[in-house]
Amino acid sequence: MTSVLFTNVRIIDGTGTAPYAGEALVQGNRIARVARGTRSLPTTGVTVIDGAGATLMPGMVEAHTHFSWNDAAGLSDLQRLPLEEHVLWSANVAKRYLEAGWTSCVGAACAKPRLDVVTRNAINQGLIPGPRYLAGSQEITVAGGLGDETLPHLPFPELSFGVLVSGAEEMRKAVRMFLKYGVDHVKLNLSGDNFTPTSPAGTTWMSDEEVAIAVREAHMRGKRVAAHARSCESVKQCVRHGIEIIYHASFTDEEALDMLEANRDRHFVAPGIGILIAMLDHAAPWGITRQKAVEMGYEVELAAAVESLKKMHKRGIRVLPGGDYGFAFTPHGENARDLEYFVKYVGMTPMEALLSATRHGGEIMMKGGELGQLKDGYLADLILVDGDPLANLGILRDPSRLLAVMKDGVFYKEPEIRSAQSRWGRSVA
Amino acid sequence: MANVLFTNVRILDATGAAPYPGEVLVQGNRISRVARGARALPTGGVTTVDGGGATLMPGLVEAHTHFSWNDQPGLSEIQRMPTEEHILWCAHIAKRYLDMGWTSCMGAATAKPRLDVVIRNAIESGQIPGPRYLAASQEITVPGGLGDETLPHLPYPEFSFGAIVNGPEEMRKTVRMFLKYGVDTVKLNLSGEYIAGIPAEFTPMTDEEIAVAVKEAHVRGKRVSAHARSAESVKQCVRHGIEIIYHASFADEEALDMLEARKDHHFVAPGIAWLINTSFHAAEWGITPDAAKAMGYHRELEVACETLKKMHRRGIRILPGGDYGFAWIKHGTNAKDLEYFVSYLGFTPMEALRSATFLGGQIMLRGSELGQVKEGYLADLLLVDGDPLANLAVLQDPKRILGIMKDGVFHKDPQGRAARGRWSLPAA
Repeated sequence: MTSVLFTNVRIIDGTGTAPYAGEALVQGNRIARVARGTRSLPTTGVTVIDGAGATLMPGMVEAHTHFSWNDAAGLSDLQRLPLEEHVLWSANVAKRYLEAGWTSCVGAACAKPRLDVVTRNAINQGLIPGPRYLAGSQEITVAGGLGDETLPHLPFPELSFGVLVSGAEEMRKAVRMFLKYGVDHVKLNLSGDNFTPTSPAGTTWMSDEEVAIAVREAHMRGKRVAAHARSCESVKQCVRHGIEIIYHASFTDEEALDMLEANRDRHFVAPGIGILIAMLDHAAPWGITRQKAVEMGYEVELAAAVESLKKMHKRGIRVLPGGDYGFAFTPHGENARDLEYFVKYVGMTPMEALLSATRHGGEIMMKGGELGQLKDGYLADLILVDGDPLANLGILRDPSRLLAVMKDGVFYKEPEIRSAQSRWGRSVA
Repeated sequence: MANVLFTNVRILDATGAAPYPGEVLVQGNRISRVARGARALPTGGVTTVDGGGATLMPGLVEAHTHFSWNDQPGLSEIQRMPTEEHILWCAHIAKRYLDMGWTSCMGAATAKPRLDVVIRNAIESGQIPGPRYLAASQEITVPGGLGDETLPHLPYPEFSFGAIVNGPEEMRKTVRMFLKYGVDTVKLNLSGEYIAGIPAEFTPMTDEEIAVAVKEAHVRGKRVSAHARSAESVKQCVRHGIEIIYHASFADEEALDMLEARKDHHFVAPGIAWLINTSFHAAEWGITPDAAKAMGYHRELEVACETLKKMHRRGIRILPGGDYGFAWIKHGTNAKDLEYFVSYLGFTPMEALRSATFLGGQIMLRGSELGQVKEGYLADLLLVDGDPLANLAVLQDPKRILGIMKDGVFHKDPQGRAARGRWSLPAA
């Protein structure tokens, strides 16, 4: 592995410090040195990338990723895709995340039992390109809850992207199966969702006995638990049972917020705010007009979520971007929309939004001491961005502004033009 | 799609003509002009690739490909791989074939029902890189035949890389299922195989079963291929009109007469590498030459060489490829077959090359537009450093394959040469 020196770059290091002009030297898969100014790091024997003032920042972390969601308008389309095609689809999507600058992703659930695990393993083996990935289970749910897509005359489990359990012992069995397959965390659907009118977002579906046994089985093996938790009660279940990763958390009360704040070093909240906004504003071409979305409850939920998230942010609860990209109105790769939404709706500064995708990202990847910041000794997951994301977060969604993507010290996207240039000599051409 | 002019190349056009210096212009996905000599074709508006005297030839065609065989030492290993991993493996292997210059492959059977079809579709939709591909079914077999890997206490169909049928009606059902999935060919296992403990000369499938399979496939315009090592199974192939005959080791005089009489209908892909390497180069995986001899492989190799020499003399079409994908004949090393055709079967190097190109176009059902460097033909081309006719082994060395073009698009851009114009070279 060759060493790479990024010079003439504006560094956003993910610590919260204001950007500064500097250099970063990558040796092997780690950042060996970060320095302010120019010509401060040795250039001998290294490939020099002259960034010409572009921004060098940590690769982004998506906290709520569904590789197996297939950019369709509905949930039933997920299960119309046969297994073989679904694996290739997931592999293809993994590549798209890396291309879009997401060098790490937390799998939030897969649509068939082993899709996430197999994709993670293939990435780790170098068989396919993709971000660092923590593999999720399917969504574990109960009859009638989000994820149960069976019909009275078609009671086949394969019709559902979720796994249906009834009672603590069935939960144990399902969780153990996923742990055997090698998931990094188990996903529970604790609340409903306005996408499924018979189990709306404010409702809570799973019993404490079921939740408790799932968490116990996962924690016994050192694995974490994630939950779909939109309702207030489901958020409290997450805190009570020690579910580390809380998805959505739209509806909260003071008790829920107090509980979260008291345990804020333990929990991550990834609201997936993009889907709420998309349902209201971007889903009309697929038959979901604003009027219909309002009727489905999305206006009420967005208003509640914005209030909840603002309060969480003020209380220092970690709120992370990503979530439920992979629908027609939230296609994979558009995930950086979330950063803009965090500023516009949640009241974060642009720097806070970036930190949520980088520094907090390293933490949710369980590599807080070595991932998500541009620091000496940290893993070399870096993106080189043409422009200033702090002035315009929208450029993070533009592939043409993403000049380079490096994961684990290896360029996935190599900076064009610049790659051949050294600092002291330019080619005759 | 940019137009590409290959200039300063030695053209091996696979028509049988001796190689000649010349130029080839590719427009879109086809070869638009082929010219002898230099500076014969216009260079305006085209990307010029100066071949520096390298050989330009048609892409290679593998006539008997198993993407889903997983480079392991045994048959049971194939079914230990779950479907998810298996499809990613197949995608990986498809790319490896293209990386090695095989721009077309004939699927000879897949280990799980839809692997071949899904890979073909993914290649055609541009989702993954790979050669042109004709997708096969699983091997359809009978209980106790090659492909039945079930055990008495584990009777589950998923244990077998073959699909097991009993009688014509089960055959019909199975064939229709594969046709529904979208296969290009249906594969039948008509004879045994020593490594599976079933003698190669054993012929376990009835004519009634075969007839139904062939009829169902032909009704839908699809072809049938067969694992046929025994003399009787080769005759079954000819009697039933099975287009693609794999192995044919023990074909006797009657079988050869039948084949010769229908030589425009049949292709033979013997998979000779399997016999050679299982006989002599599998000791590392526990199959010593003595063990292989005891199984029957030495004798089969000897008989197969004689049989294939006779076929070649009779003008029966023999094509390279076959059963790569085991530990001792790994995917990607398939060009060894061309050397084997020369050293074991008495082919000239030109005949060996034409079997992989000219005949390859025919087995791909595109004889008039694939497999030769001719005007109007599909632009599947290799730029090879050296003269394959002098040394067929150069085709086994990825470093010597400078450029690989499939359907007018470079899968491998000729390094160093691509950017050079004819009239100016960079200062460096």
